[in-house]
Amino acid sequence: MDKTININIAGTLFQIDDEAFRILRDYLQAINNRFRNVQGGHETVEDIESRIAEIFQSQRGLAGVITKENVEAMISIIGKPEDFDQNEPEQEQKVYTAQRKRMYRNPDDKIIGGVCSGLGAYLETDPVLFRILFVLFTAFFGVGFFIYIVLWIALPEANTDVRKREMFGNAYHSAISMTKQTDGPYNSTSEQYSASYNNTSKIGNAFNEVFRAIGRVCYIIFRIFMIIIGVLLVMTGFLAILTLLMIFVFKLPWAFTTDAFDSTLVYLPDFLNYIVNPSVAPWIIALTLMAIILPLLAFIYWGVKMIFWFKAKDGIVSLAGFVLWVMVIAALTIILFNEGISFSETARTASQTVYPNPPDTLYVLTDKKVADLKFDKKFSVPDDDYTVFLVDSTRNMYISPDLQLRITDKDNAKVEIRKRSSGRTREDAIRKSESLVYNYRMSHDTLYLDEYFTIPEGNKWTADNLRINLFVPEKTVLYFDSSTEKLFHNVIEVGWVKSDTISSSKIDYNTEPWELGNKFWTITEDGLKEAEKVKTKKK
Amino acid sequence: MDLENTKAQMRKGILEYCILSVLSRNSCYASDIIKELKEAEVIVVEGTLYPLLTRQKNGGLLSYRWEESQQGPPRKYYELTEAGRSYLADLDKSWNELVESVNHIRTR
Repeated sequence: MDKTININIAGTLFQIDDEAFRILRDYLQAINNRFRNVQGGHETVEDIESRIAEIFQSQRGLAGVITKENVEAMISIIGKPEDFDQNEPEQEQKVYTAQRKRMYRNPDDKIIGGVCSGLGAYLETDPVLFRILFVLFTAFFGVGFFIYIVLWIALPEANTDVRKREMFGNAYHSAISMTKQTDGPYNSTSEQYSASYNNTSKIGNAFNEVFRAIGRVCYIIFRIFMIIIGVLLVMTGFLAILTLLMIFVFKLPWAFTTDAFDSTLVYLPDFLNYIVNPSVAPWIIALTLMAIILPLLAFIYWGVKMIFWFKAKDGIVSLAGFVLWVMVIAALTIILFNEGISFSETARTASQTVYPNPPDTLYVLTDKKVADLKFDKKFSVPDDDYTVFLVDSTRNMYISPDLQLRITDKDNAKVEIRKRSSGRTREDAIRKSESLVYNYRMSHDTLYLDEYFTIPEGNKWTADNLRINLFVPEKTVLYFDSSTEKLFHNVIEVGWVKSDTISSSKIDYNTEPWELGNKFWTITEDGLKEAEKVKTKKK
Repeated sequence: MDLENTKAQMRKGILEYCILSVLSRNSCYASDIIKELKEAEVIVVEGTLYPLLTRQKNGGLLSYRWEESQQGPPRKYYELTEAGRSYLADLDKSWNELVESVNHIRTR
């Protein structure tokens, strides 16, 4: 029994027998080749196709099946492409001379990715050979599988005619008439034809059918895997960008309340103005954002691409994006390095006030309070109890100092202020540290300490720090209130000072800073001991 | 010397002129043009015509409209544009000149 095939020519369906189909296919391919590189060629091919449909329609026999005779009659009416040329100017003759050959994946005869088929075309061998080899090598610890994946990624798909020609080299014309076509008018027949009109043996075909089934399963598993990775990439990218937006743009850190963030992180960009030269601060912010967001966008794009598995000519864009990212990182490095130089030298300066005849009980209270500052922003270094308060209108910075205790073998009390700043040069750093403003005063039996020190207007923040060392004779009773206890940052350090040098200094692990407030404490070599409310001369 | 080749060379020049001349009388479907050209023995196969029509249309000499057909797909009916008419007029003139030149030489 003769096999018949349904084909679609210029929108009309025809039944055509096997032999006629092959003649028609070669004829249409020849016409396609003839007009491929001619301007308006596509339209000409369409015109010819509708004429073919018309001729077939008028010739269709009783059974309605197009035969070899019908096709030959049609060809004699329309003519062979080489006969068309009698009236064509010479320069439109196209020539394909010696072909260079390249390795591609063959989309027209593929089971998974078309790798084996491409290898076969390149080495002019039956692709089945490579399919068997890949399956065999996969049995060896999956080696074949990995080689396949690498080749799949590395080899481009022969998705244009030029590439197809390069893939087959000089064997193009014989190969193309054998393998199925992805374009051209007999599109609807190509699927059913690809299996039986391969240039493979019968055994090869049987193998191919088996591989095709395996291939489909592998492909589906592979796609599921890709989709999962793609979804993860997209979600990571989106969530990270969302988090950045929430924190730095909408300033909603509580939307992500975790210990990983300090809630004052939101002011990091604002604080930047006080650290670096204000003219470069916007650059640093913009570059940092780009440095973070570019990879995230790439994540999202890769993810979407993996989910939907589309092909895009994104090589140039990807490369441009990567180059841009490298440039951003380089620019950021240069700027930060340049700004970092202003932190290169560190200097400490100290000043002290001695109070002869200190009271037996010393009240340590705070004078100027942070609460009265009306600061706009607060920025703290997590875990370090170092807090900067910013007032935007005056561009002033107020920073919490650190209070520590010293036992002296002398009779007098002493307040020592140690300031530390950084600068481009040592002189800078010294000048900067001396300019820090801190006020304290002793009044009768009370020492008043400010809750903050001030960086004078117009100065940048240069890792400034201020330490208050309070020297008192041993056995002095100290009273702290709830605000002074905050001046002890994380630890209470009690140093034992003899002849103005610290002979031993230890951290009082028995007492925590938050236990100090509103109580009387006796200072001893071993730390602070809670005292009875005695020896009060006043209050 | 190949006689067929020389004939083909001669036909090559006049074919475009002939198409425009056919269309100058009334708008035609490609098959009508082919019929006339075949009768005049200017062309042998239909395939020759299609690329020329496309080229003339793209060159602005022709326009076309679709018309339904009883036998198959809709047909393209071609007609001359204004540019096509003046192009044809130029060709008419140069054809007359050519005929005169050739006759002049032959009848000397």
